Amino acid sequence: MGSTGKIIRKKDLSIWQKSYIPEIVKGLRQTIAEMFKPKFTIQYPEERFKPQPSFRGRPVLVQENEVERCVACGLCSRVCPALAIEVQASETPLEKERYPIKFEINMVRCIFCGFCEEVCPEEAIVMSNEYELVFSSQEEAVFGKDKLLKTTEELKDRLEFLRQNR
Amino acid sequence: MSETKTLPTEYVSHPGEIKSSLGHTVRTDEMIINMGPQHPSTHGVLRLEIVVDGEIIVDVIPHIGYLHRCFEKHAEHMTNYQQVIPYCDRLDYCAAINEEHSYVLAVERMLKIEVPERVEYIRVIMAELQRIASHLIAVGTFGIDAGAFTPFLYAFHDRELILSLFEMTCGARLLYNYFWIGGLSHDLPPQFVDKAKEFCTYFKPRIKEFNDLLTYNEIFVKRTANVGVLPQDVAINFACSGPMLRGSGVNWDLRRDDPYSVYHKIEWEPKIGKGEMGTVGDVWDRHIVRMREMEESVKIIEQALAALPAGNVQAAIPKRIRPDAGEIYARTETPRGELGFYIISDGSGTPYRVKGRAPAFVNLSVLPEISRGGMIADLVLIAGSVDIVLGQVDR
Ligand code: SF4
Ligand code: SF4
Repeated sequence: MGSTGKIIRKKDLSIWQKSYIPEIVKGLRQTIAEMFKPKFTIQYPEERFKPQPSFRGRPVLVQENEVERCVACGLCSRVCPALAIEVQASETPLEKERYPIKFEINMVRCIFCGFCEEVCPEEAIVMSNEYELVFSSQEEAVFGKDKLLKTTEELKDRLEFLRQNR
Repeated sequence: MSETKTLPTEYVSHPGEIKSSLGHTVRTDEMIINMGPQHPSTHGVLRLEIVVDGEIIVDVIPHIGYLHRCFEKHAEHMTNYQQVIPYCDRLDYCAAINEEHSYVLAVERMLKIEVPERVEYIRVIMAELQRIASHLIAVGTFGIDAGAFTPFLYAFHDRELILSLFEMTCGARLLYNYFWIGGLSHDLPPQFVDKAKEFCTYFKPRIKEFNDLLTYNEIFVKRTANVGVLPQDVAINFACSGPMLRGSGVNWDLRRDDPYSVYHKIEWEPKIGKGEMGTVGDVWDRHIVRMREMEESVKIIEQALAALPAGNVQAAIPKRIRPDAGEIYARTETPRGELGFYIISDGSGTPYRVKGRAPAFVNLSVLPEISRGGMIADLVLIAGSVDIVLGQVDR
């Protein structure tokens, strides 16, 4: 097995074939035509990729009127296939009665599946449009409430998208 | 490096002594070379141990497992069937939708769910879009293996357009979690149909352009024809599937031969290699099968878009996924071949056992067979034509 074909001798080729010029010209014509088409690439750190509202970036907690919507039911942490979420409930005098005293998402574990957003009864955890995640240590990758909370203003696009698609 | 290795003599093409052109006996020595695991042409973390005699390959031993992520064990430890889907995505990250399709199909057959017509059509559209995206990577990187860089960039440009369609629909560009058991995570956005049609019209001339640029290029043909020939019987004996099998001239496509979804309502035909440029089953044949399959996929997408019925895509999603005790094997045709999931249920909410039959793994096993006796420079091409994704090989 392997190469079993006939051997091509240089002397059997015509001078045109030997020079490979027709093939090169054919290829170059294509390349030159392509040069005048609009550019498709983005110059990344300067220009940024703008995700559509449907984009699933890192999960964040929705903050409405200075408090999080979350009622610490723990459903998201149960449904998370990567076991990335940790919720600890506590009581609050507010109408919702319970709130998460600790809410942590380990961003190294998270696989951006979107199940947490899907399961939450309060629409309290949604996928934002942030896709740049850089850490220098494992500890840094555990996002607490301080990094997770985002106001409804900031998440307007996504919340609107969810309203239309549920 | 020159440690000797005993091999069964029938595999050794040059048993250590060759005659020079002047009639002298030249003693040669076998040498072992490592290719990978970090090598651009192994398409991932694959290590090939190559035994060479001069430039001739005596044997190739693939070493796998660098990307093993315990998919099967993981699947047993989820809290429900649904949670396995994101992990299925990660088997073959170049064709995630097709992996989901297979798994979802298996669980749906277990639960005996009738999926709405609209869902089936959307699944076919998505699976075929993904097939084009995956074949674009395959032929693009194959071009690089053969020394052609430009087609790769073209392929990625077109793939990017498909990924934008996916992003618009389900929010992810690579690992979708889009097919759910009994339905889909989102319905198609209103502008999807138009955009997909636009893509189809744009893409058809692109295939021709791609063929002119790469497939029928004299240099490329000379480089790929008659290389890495996989004869029909060997392909069948090694249980190859997908373009590997069809490249060898076997007319076998699960979309037609074990119909699922709505493929039987759509007009299309599997493409097989015919040995136009050399021998049937050579590297060029496998390449042309992929190119022609993309054309077929465009045809399927166009028909499915035209026939897309209305309906609720989440109507059939079960509240509780708890199949009766039993077992099932469901298979689909992914860009790499037959992907099957064998699931055993013990009647609880989590699968008792999930076994994935990965086409890339099976196809890779034929690599030593088809590269023995070839030149070491051709090995890169042969490995490229198998189109492996290491995520799927190692699981
Ligand atoms: S984010 Fe939602 S699902 Fe998670 S604990 Fe809070 S309310 Fe429950
Ligand atoms: S997106 Fe998925 S993996 Fe990430 S926190 Fe939510 S449920 Fe867990």
